Amino acid sequence: MNIHAYEKLWLAASLVLIVLFIGSVTYGAVGAGIAMVDDAEGVIDPDALDEDDRFADPRVEEVGENEYEVYVVAGQFFFDPGTFEPIEVPEHSQVTFYVTSPDVIHSFSIPGTNANTMVIPGEVASMTVEVGDPQEYGIVCNEFCGGGHHDMEGEFHVVPEDEFTLEADE
Amino acid sequence: MTEELHREIGHDEYNPVGTLVLIALYFLVLLLLWLFVYFIEFLGRDLTVVGVVI
Repeated sequence: MNIHAYEKLWLAASLVLIVLFIGSVTYGAVGAGIAMVDDAEGVIDPDALDEDDRFADPRVEEVGENEYEVYVVAGQFFFDPGTFEPIEVPEHSQVTFYVTSPDVIHSFSIPGTNANTMVIPGEVASMTVEVGDPQEYGIVCNEFCGGGHHDMEGEFHVVPEDEFTLEADE
Repeated sequence: MTEELHREIGHDEYNPVGTLVLIALYFLVLLLLWLFVYFIEFLGRDLTVVGVVI
């Protein structure tokens, strides 16, 4: 087969480009530690969330030094906690959200960031983020979940260390 | 077309330099856009989901 020298050049260049694309995604996963939200948390009975010790009392919990877990119930049309009172965590900590739904599919997403997951009844979505300086974020639902979908929102506050108190300690 | 202007070239003498330059520019644009989208827009949007790759 007679392939022109120029053609060999751009065939090789396109292979290099593909290797670069795959390489940078691999770097994201291994070097930067980017993870995907998956089904690792297993299933839960959506009609009996109040029998589950994580979601019977949705809350922020300290699980280690600068490590927090946040249990959130996303329902029509609220995040608990989030909508009625903001979710608060201290600055520069690692926060893992566990979110589930008692009714229909919602989502838990923090606009302007990569923190975003679907919330499926019967499943627990978990995602871990690292928060930096104090900042106020919003939370919205981006899966159409009914007539009040457009009002379904909440707040997530990263507060200075000295202003942070756990609900249980108040 | 007169006889004098008629010229035949073989496979390897045909060098489409313009096409090569266009493709090189296109690759450069692709590469820059990818670097921008992945490293600045995606990795730079803080609160990124982190964890252990299984």
